[in-house]
Amino acid sequence: MSKKLILGAVAFIIIIQLIIALQIKPDMSAIGTPPHKVKEIFGRSIPFNGVNVTTVTVSWGIMFFLIVVSIIINTRLRQVPGRTQMIFEIVIEFFDKLCRDTMGDKGHIFMPYVATLFLFILCSNWIGILPFSFIEEPTRDLNTTLGLGIIAFFVAHIAAICYKGIFRYIADYFEPMFEIKGVKIPNVLFFPINAIGELGKLVSHSFRLYGNILGGAIIIQVISNLTRYMILPIGLNLFFGLFVGAVQAFVFAMLALTYIAVLVEG
Amino acid sequence: MDTQSLVLVYAYLGAGFSIGLGAIGPAYGIGLAASKACQAVTRQPHASGSIMKTMLVGQAVSESPAIFALLIAIFLTFKIYNLPDEVSIIHMAMLLAAGLCAGLGSLGPGVGSGVANASACEGVGRDPELEAPLLRTMLIGQAVSQSTSVYALVISMCLLFVI
Repeated sequence: MSKKLILGAVAFIIIIQLIIALQIKPDMSAIGTPPHKVKEIFGRSIPFNGVNVTTVTVSWGIMFFLIVVSIIINTRLRQVPGRTQMIFEIVIEFFDKLCRDTMGDKGHIFMPYVATLFLFILCSNWIGILPFSFIEEPTRDLNTTLGLGIIAFFVAHIAAICYKGIFRYIADYFEPMFEIKGVKIPNVLFFPINAIGELGKLVSHSFRLYGNILGGAIIIQVISNLTRYMILPIGLNLFFGLFVGAVQAFVFAMLALTYIAVLVEG
Repeated sequence: MDTQSLVLVYAYLGAGFSIGLGAIGPAYGIGLAASKACQAVTRQPHASGSIMKTMLVGQAVSESPAIFALLIAIFLTFKIYNLPDEVSIIHMAMLLAAGLCAGLGSLGPGVGSGVANASACEGVGRDPELEAPLLRTMLIGQAVSQSTSVYALVISMCLLFVI
């Protein structure tokens, strides 16, 4: 009985898809064009060459969602957790353990930052699988990922200055030092290499997320157009939307933590 | 032939070079990981589930250089829709260079992250209880080893859009 029902449902979906597919004409002209930007608001021009409205509204929506959910969960904390509280406790405990494993007891302070980063990027990556044309992943826009990368950069460097002091922080740029008869002499030659290495971390950190999410989104778009939205896009959305989105969110949060650990303990 | 279509010739050449060269490295890396996973399953048949998981997650991450190359190839293929009005010989060089950059740039990182994945599979085969820390170390190492392909992506996108 249930097998027949499932087969019937699949056949029904395929027929509906066929009917829809015959109406759609492939349109590739939107691929590779820069995103639509609003350059003026109330007669005043916006600095930095305009604002991408979709990115801003969707990321504000995600922030609103996360804040509201966490307030609701926090007001209903119980000794014996329910299902929803359980999920959030698992996430928090996982990141707490991760931070403690990476940095020792110091890592406890960075847990809220890393967990927030992960949850925000996860929601941003997963929102792309919703079938509405006005919703796009905020992480598909370089501005979002570069902003997150710059935040991680400043958190790591300010944490390093707080933990090590400004002099040891600056001295680290001159590593590895010469050692003559037990006296350490700072090596000026290595300063540019170390400085560029720090900037390279920022660039690769933010562009990795951007490239992966944009690549997945555009591949889905192209193949959906070629197959006229038949069946295949579901699997692609599962792989590029859910799986790659989750892995990249974890990698981003984990790398931010690793950069902090390297700078604080190095 | 007019200049507009000559530019398109170079765009299509670049697209071919990009994904053609860019598929070599990740393919080799992914195959290496699969072969090491097979060896690990031979050694510890009861741990085949966790070996499979490590292999699949690692392969999905080592594919990302190929995804970058594919992204540039798709941009180059659909360049016909947003070509600038006045084109010159510089545009031809830029499009070909963008393709070559993305293609050659993903050779090394693909192999490198595949090797990391292979070692992680081998490690899970030796001690299946260490699966979680191995997976974490592998992910971080692969992400850092792919930085170079990210740099190649940055330069090809600059060539395509900025100049």
